[in-house]
Amino acid sequence: MPSGSTARNLLVLAGLGLLALLLAGAVMGVIGQKISGQGDGYVSKPEIHLPPQPVFPASVRDRHLGLTPAEDHVEEPQKDADHKEGTAAKEAQEGEAHSTPLPITQFAVTNTLLSAWFATVMLVLFFVLGSRKKSLVPGRFQSLVESLLEAALSFCSSVLGPEMGRKAFPVVATIFFFVLFNAWLALLPFYQFLGFTKDGEIKAHLLRSAGTDLNFPLALALISFIFVEYWGIRSHGLGYFKKFFAIGGLLRLRPAGLIDAFVGFLELISEFVRIVSFTFRLFGNMTAGEILVVMITFLVPFVAVEFVFGLELLVGLIQAVIFASLTLVFLSVAVSHQEH
Amino acid sequence: MTELGINLPSLIAYLVNFLILLGILYLMAYKPILRLLDQRAERIRESLAAADQARQEATSAREAIEEQINEARREGQRLLDQAREASDRFRGEEMDRARGEAEAFIERAHADIQRERDAAIQEVRANFGELAITAAERVIRRSLDRQTHQELITQVLEEGGSASGNGRA
Repeated sequence: MPSGSTARNLLVLAGLGLLALLLAGAVMGVIGQKISGQGDGYVSKPEIHLPPQPVFPASVRDRHLGLTPAEDHVEEPQKDADHKEGTAAKEAQEGEAHSTPLPITQFAVTNTLLSAWFATVMLVLFFVLGSRKKSLVPGRFQSLVESLLEAALSFCSSVLGPEMGRKAFPVVATIFFFVLFNAWLALLPFYQFLGFTKDGEIKAHLLRSAGTDLNFPLALALISFIFVEYWGIRSHGLGYFKKFFAIGGLLRLRPAGLIDAFVGFLELISEFVRIVSFTFRLFGNMTAGEILVVMITFLVPFVAVEFVFGLELLVGLIQAVIFASLTLVFLSVAVSHQEH
Repeated sequence: MTELGINLPSLIAYLVNFLILLGILYLMAYKPILRLLDQRAERIRESLAAADQARQEATSAREAIEEQINEARREGQRLLDQAREASDRFRGEEMDRARGEAEAFIERAHADIQRERDAAIQEVRANFGELAITAAERVIRRSLDRQTHQELITQVLEEGGSASGNGRA
């Protein structure tokens, strides 16, 4: 252990080093380079793709990214003989290829799906290793996993009550941890540098945060929606739908019945709008984070992006909490026995 | 829709992926860990109850012991008092008895002394006449009628004796 003054000196030194790196980044990045009029910056200009890119099978990838079959190796510097000839034509081809997303029914393993699988594996490893020993007096790791799950359980119970909280816990906790792991794992460096290259530039990353693929939040939103409606029907029977089709008053020709029916209609709409809001909230936040990271890295290559990483850690956590707790709240509304 | 990246197979893949993850986590993490947490909570509750009971038992045991000590102390005090009383009584009795005996002894001694004195006086009286007669015989060389002399002397002695006896007694 370094003594107090040594530690302080090291800290100052590290701070100075970071500052120097930041300055170097500012100079070498696109801002500095443009000011001095020298070039395009340390990091090449990023391409933002809203739809995920297919990475497997290779034929689909090549067709959609405009890569030739010989160039599908990961992280391999491309020595393209055909670079010299017909640059303009190729760029046109590239541009066209990049703007072509997958058709709606065509299956391909996209980079976002791959990273969702990666997150799934990490999540399973984390929890299975944590609960492997099952000793009554836990070790550190087991203790961590247990306290995470216990916190999630007590959160569920605090919203839904102990009995219903326990029933909702598996789905809600899985949503929470899945969103969280997807968001946080995407901050690992190899998400940024593993990819399929062309002309030395990454045209498609091997992994990309699943939250930036609209299908992922949509799938979670559908799960959440089906889960909520299932428990609503299960706890109210067919009477659950009376909330949406409140036409009892209308049939008895009361004037207030019209209002009831209209409110019911709004309830019905809002039930489905939730799917959309769930989807685009997560998608928007994750995509914005991704773009922010890429753009800051492009503008100032070093250090500056760390602040964005800190922000993204927070955003990932918040989005996971929001997704899980909104599911809980909707669930509690669906199972509650309040009459309108 | 495709511009946003909506893709039906991907969507289905995510759904299936989520369900598989849910299944694995439920079977391998949630269920065992929740059971473990329940077990631990149950264990803690039991331990607390046991500790509570042990504390109560200790308290009651201590009270019982104190009660026994007090009982023993009272018993000891009682025995001590009893012994002291007995000894007092015994001593009194003994002293009374001793005093009685002493008094009886003194009484008897007095009586003996009285008797001895009476006897001695009687004897002196008896012998004194004899001596006087013997002395008178020696003086007058003749033997007087014994009977007459004896009576004479006794008479004289009784006169003198009553006179002296009155003075002495």
